[in-house]
Amino acid sequence: MTHLECSGCGREYSCNEIHTFCTFCQSPLLTVYNLKKARQYLDRDVFARRSKGMWRWAELLPVQKPENRIFLGEGDTPLLRLNRFEKVLGLTNLFLKDESSNPTGSFKARGLSAAVSKARELGVQKVIIPTAGNAGGAMAAYAARAGLKAHIFMPKDTPFANIEESRMAGAEVILVDGLISDAAGMAGEKARAEGWFDVSTFKEPYRVEGKKVMGYELAESFSWELPDVIIYPTGGGTGLVGMWKAFAEMEELGWLNKTKRPRMVSVQADGCAPVVRAFEKGASFCDFWINAHTLASGLRVPKSFADHLILQDIYESRGTAIAVSDEAILDAQKQLARLEGIFAAPEGAATLAALQQLIEKKWIQPDERIVLFNTGSGLKYLDYKTH
Amino acid sequence: MGHNVLYIEDNPDNMTLVQRALETRGYKLLKAKNGLEGVKIAETEEVDLILLDINLPDIDGYEVAQRLRASEKVALKTTPIIAVTANALKGDAEKALNAGCDVYMSKPINIRELWARVEAFVPMP
Repeated sequence: MTHLECSGCGREYSCNEIHTFCTFCQSPLLTVYNLKKARQYLDRDVFARRSKGMWRWAELLPVQKPENRIFLGEGDTPLLRLNRFEKVLGLTNLFLKDESSNPTGSFKARGLSAAVSKARELGVQKVIIPTAGNAGGAMAAYAARAGLKAHIFMPKDTPFANIEESRMAGAEVILVDGLISDAAGMAGEKARAEGWFDVSTFKEPYRVEGKKVMGYELAESFSWELPDVIIYPTGGGTGLVGMWKAFAEMEELGWLNKTKRPRMVSVQADGCAPVVRAFEKGASFCDFWINAHTLASGLRVPKSFADHLILQDIYESRGTAIAVSDEAILDAQKQLARLEGIFAAPEGAATLAALQQLIEKKWIQPDERIVLFNTGSGLKYLDYKTH
Repeated sequence: MGHNVLYIEDNPDNMTLVQRALETRGYKLLKAKNGLEGVKIAETEEVDLILLDINLPDIDGYEVAQRLRASEKVALKTTPIIAVTANALKGDAEKALNAGCDVYMSKPINIRELWARVEAFVPMP
């Protein structure tokens, strides 16, 4: 790691100091590595011989001292072939990256492992986060293991599992009458007033670094070739932006056998689809989504702080953005469980619903290599089943 | 001549940031530290676009927007208003649009987005 760089104006910041976002243009900061140098000594095959987990990619992560890495087993999630769905949908190369096996049951573990580890390295004592649910649970767990005090703002209708896991890990949980955007406003004010480190999506530079490892794992799983299409649920967009960053890094490292990158598909819910609406207009930024509602709480993000990065990556990939109904999400969730034995989070199930739409539109060819992302376990969302 | 943008905002840091950003692009910034001062400036000066913070120390941004739209100065019925707020409480965006604002932005204001939105309403020649 050499420095942090503003994704908007390119200004550089030290990676040895605490930074949130660019103080000049207020865009997210991204971590920059000396990949030209790394290319000379980093062999892509060495990583497969290391102990499993996200931190086997340590040279490409922002934490410098090994003792600061907070590890709970995150990363190296299974890439499952969906044989039965291939037959049903007439496809020949359909996969699902199952992030539910991460600690705390969701992909949020990756980002929070990286962010909390870096926070500890920088001497941070207290961390604060607004969350739609899973990020709060993950931050609470990693903060507990790091010995940091966690403060979590979440909507009052956040799944009970997220509230309980956060409290169990000793976090202070504040339930907000509103959406994650409301929680973000409150958490931001509290962070400024108290001087706590704000770990909001893209308002610090390191969660995206943890998430990008999903891209490295995919490339390694496919023998250093990338899939044709990645279908990814998009709330804050850290995973999508992170994987796109990973693909760029791997190109610079010379690790990819083919430099053709995947078409990125951003999946949102009908009741909250700011990226989809902006994509359809060809816009560079999203409008704030009024009256956001969906049972997929992770998709209930009226406007991401990194909306321009999400859109830029979709455009650059020649991808698309697609919205699905809650009914389609529930149906897809049931299908995934019954045909493949995967009890997916609604956000993950949304990718299957989107795939079905894309097949109908003939946007996807039957022989393309397609990867769906299940971002978490359905077990964390039992509230809406009982209500 | 650059367009006049009125920014109604009580936070000096935000004011400085936006002033620097818009003046870089050739806009002239008129500044008001509270809602009543903002309404007065809008009614007496040539204003091409208004940036309106919602959380103001006297009257709130919704009230400001309603007063501007109801003003006897006819031009203010159509002057673009961009609402901005840090403490986005439930329904704030909808309330801002219902009060007469054209667009809602949440803080921290991304300057590139601000440029894009201001230029969409009042393009520089």
